[in-house]
Amino acid sequence: MLPRGIRRLFRIDLGPSRVARAVDDELRFHFDMTVRHYMTRGMSESDATREAERRFGDVERTRARLEAIDRSRAERDRRAAWFSAILQDLRYAARGLRATPGFTLVIVLALALGVGANATMFGIIDRLLLSPPPFLANPAQTNRVYIGRYFDGVANLTPNMSYTRYVDLTKYTKSFSRTAAFFYFNLAVGTGEETAEKQVGMVSATFWQFFNAPPALGRYFGPSEDHTPEGATVAVLGYNYWQAQYGGRRDVLGKSISLGRRAYTIIGVAPRNFVGMNPTGAVAFVPITTGVYDLFGGLTATERSRWYTTHNMSWMEMIAERKTGVSVTAAAADLTNAYLRSYQSQERATPVAIARPHAVVASVLKERGPNQGNNSKVATWLLGVAVVVLLIACANVANLLLARAFRRRREIAVRVALGVSRGRLFVQLLTESLLLGVLGAAAGLIVARWGGAILQKAILPDVEWTSVIADPRMLGFAGAVAIVVGVLTGLAPALLARRTDVSASLKAGAREGTYHRSRTRTVLLILQGALSVVLLVGAGLFVRSLHNVHALDFGYDTSKLLYVSIEMRGHQLDSAANVALRQQLIERARAIPGVENAAVTVSVPFWMSWTQDLFTQARDSIRGDYLFNTVSPSYFATMGIRIVRGRGFTDADGIGAPKVVVVSQGMANKIWPKADALGQCLRVGEDSLPCSTVIGVATNLVDRNLADPPGLQYYAPVMQKGNGGPGLFIRTHGDAAPMLNTVRRELQHVMPGASYVSITPLRKILDTEVRSWDLGATMFALFGGLALLLAAVGLYSVIAYNVTQRSHELGVRIALGAQNADVLRLVLGSGIRVAAAGILIGGVIALVASRFIGPLLYKVSPKDPLTYTVAAVTLLAVAVLASLVPGLRATHVDPNVALRAD
Amino acid sequence: MPAALNDLDLLQGTLDLLILKTLTWGPMHGYAVARWISDTTDDDLRIEEGALYTALHRMEKRGWLESEWGVSENNRKAKYYQLTTAGRKQLRSQTDVFTRYARAVFKVLQVA
Repeated sequence: MLPRGIRRLFRIDLGPSRVARAVDDELRFHFDMTVRHYMTRGMSESDATREAERRFGDVERTRARLEAIDRSRAERDRRAAWFSAILQDLRYAARGLRATPGFTLVIVLALALGVGANATMFGIIDRLLLSPPPFLANPAQTNRVYIGRYFDGVANLTPNMSYTRYVDLTKYTKSFSRTAAFFYFNLAVGTGEETAEKQVGMVSATFWQFFNAPPALGRYFGPSEDHTPEGATVAVLGYNYWQAQYGGRRDVLGKSISLGRRAYTIIGVAPRNFVGMNPTGAVAFVPITTGVYDLFGGLTATERSRWYTTHNMSWMEMIAERKTGVSVTAAAADLTNAYLRSYQSQERATPVAIARPHAVVASVLKERGPNQGNNSKVATWLLGVAVVVLLIACANVANLLLARAFRRRREIAVRVALGVSRGRLFVQLLTESLLLGVLGAAAGLIVARWGGAILQKAILPDVEWTSVIADPRMLGFAGAVAIVVGVLTGLAPALLARRTDVSASLKAGAREGTYHRSRTRTVLLILQGALSVVLLVGAGLFVRSLHNVHALDFGYDTSKLLYVSIEMRGHQLDSAANVALRQQLIERARAIPGVENAAVTVSVPFWMSWTQDLFTQARDSIRGDYLFNTVSPSYFATMGIRIVRGRGFTDADGIGAPKVVVVSQGMANKIWPKADALGQCLRVGEDSLPCSTVIGVATNLVDRNLADPPGLQYYAPVMQKGNGGPGLFIRTHGDAAPMLNTVRRELQHVMPGASYVSITPLRKILDTEVRSWDLGATMFALFGGLALLLAAVGLYSVIAYNVTQRSHELGVRIALGAQNADVLRLVLGSGIRVAAAGILIGGVIALVASRFIGPLLYKVSPKDPLTYTVAAVTLLAVAVLASLVPGLRATHVDPNVALRAD
Repeated sequence: MPAALNDLDLLQGTLDLLILKTLTWGPMHGYAVARWISDTTDDDLRIEEGALYTALHRMEKRGWLESEWGVSENNRKAKYYQLTTAGRKQLRSQTDVFTRYARAVFKVLQVA
């Protein structure tokens, strides 16, 4: 309160330019008053001025100081005002949302599903295709090396090479500052009962230099421990294994760990989250020149003496870090030259002109390289699908907000009339939708946390996932989505509010003017419908693919078979004892109730395969991929493979007996298209070897690629090969998987010493092959259903709203004699029209887009008419259902009430 | 007449205290505050007026004072300062501190 006599002029306005003037005014007043004071005491004007200045001190410095203080205060006040406006808007928005809990819930749920789907898929894509391996020091300069050769005119690019090749490529190139070799392989880890196959990383000593990851404990191995012919038996534990097995104790250093057939000394522990080059990590890392001896069940005597000089053993992978300034192209050219030089030193190689050896450097991430798997392709598509779901959710939310904005037109008009600026109103509506976006994103992260864990396991079961919520990239992603969603959904209603004509809205009665046909809302609806159709078509195509895969005849019983891998662990047996052991295992297995048959095998479909050079009189030498398997007589019966001509093997086909082979129908047709295969002569391995006579023709197998035509296998009796073969197939009466533990227990009794059996249901091996379709079908169906649900809710809410808006008009029609059927037709008609437009547009989009997923489908045309029809009918049915409820309500409009209202 | 005190001798915070106390009499412009202090102390304190204005602005920023433009006795536009609730509270606590301080110093001086 100002005392009497002082009139209030105006509040001090501290705009930036006004600060200086205000200070100036204040100081001038002070000096005028002071000078006057001294003059009343009898000083001359100049004396008085001098006295005033003396008493004041340094005027200019004070002036500057005052201005600085006031300016900073003005700045602070402005910020506070801005902040309180935001806070007010937020409070206002929150109050509005709380007032309509159902509405808020629907929106938040829709967004949560959309954001959750996106966050999950983003997490997966991020891991597969975006983030380099943890700790990699120089991801931009580090590449995986791939080498390629032409077979039968087809380029074959592979990351796998021999150790010798790696040494050559390192020696002959100048583009790289360092290179490293690595290979991840499952070895028997531990001793006694706890022995289990676990992944071990075999890496060169240079491997560690690629990472910026000091060991959690101890040290890494160096070149003195990694050298040919055989490195030192030292191991670096993986962090998780160290925690799980040793409780993170620090005294593990110097202890011994059993890996494969040897004991290693623990010299260090890798840091937490270190996985090397494989996202599934390793329990331990050992020098590659040491680990190599345990490859493939242990190297044979010949392999032991030449693994580091031969080019014929292609196994490990290579990474290389480009020197600064060396481009990818230059590095690839350098590498190709080196590969050529190395290739030319190779004995008995296909001529360079035919093989055309070449090398490329590609992303350090395998899934981004030339050998990208189907899973990551499907995952990329699913990310696109998730974005579509989010778009549908956004369209839905925008529609609901728009309906609300219409309903609130009067309220908005009143507020505009009361002087709330339109800009402020705009910001307020935007705040509301942003708040919804943030709520939706938060709920979406929860969805991603729970749903995502399941999905990640489905797509990449072996990868250890960090929690979605803990990942800052994921939080950033969700935040960005929240803002985009908020702006996207809030823009339409906010723009509507800007256009609101105050006088029109206020003049109109409670009917809120005439019935508004909103074009924006219809377009949004059609968009939802169209996108739903696209997803439904995608779902249909993948479901049909999956169905075809499941209907595929593999040529053997997929669900009744167990593969038993025999792990000798260094327990040496002579070949007679080896054969005897397998015979014992087969007999023991057959004695188990529920087991039908058992047989020795060398190959496992999709897992292990062998080829041999083949010679026949019909052709000089047979090129092409004929897969060779050596089996015991019961093999065909065990697998469910039929012998269509001639006979299978018997115990009589032993050593000393005439050499015999069985070929598949596909192979017989290819080699002897015009002649009878039975009785033909095949020379396996060398053309100087004696004939193996074809005694039977077996049905074809699908065993390497679902997309290839089946066939091209041939078999020899394992007895004639002398040695035992690495495994058995066991056929059960029913589903094989539940029998696994019983079989393992029984067979283990037969195993001598530290050797053991490891058993895998064949179904599990095949599932890996089928997974991409499985995944595509499940996810597309899930997302498609979600989209359909959202579209249905959108359609229902819009039509229901329109019916309410039109109740006056409908009342008039009914009063004028319209029948129930007419009214129903009117309402249903609008729903069906929207659906029809959606189907048309969506169909076209799907036709265009499906061409790109063609390669991911299995024996289904991307234009499959059935799929398109089903998708269209589904959307139409949903549209009818969604408009039926408001349609029926419309027939109950009482003209008396409707016309009298307002 | 005792020796005039130099403004450097003015204890830190004392100027704030004087201004706050002065403003308890009601809203005043800067000149009036300066006048009031020099009249009340018979000009013993010799406060540099630039420092006084700086203190006024600083305390306004801290929220102890608020200001508005008013019309002075001789019909001129002037910036009036008045105490806020926070300012009153500040005055009470600073008065306490100052009194305790002064009493302590006096005790020493009397013993000596």
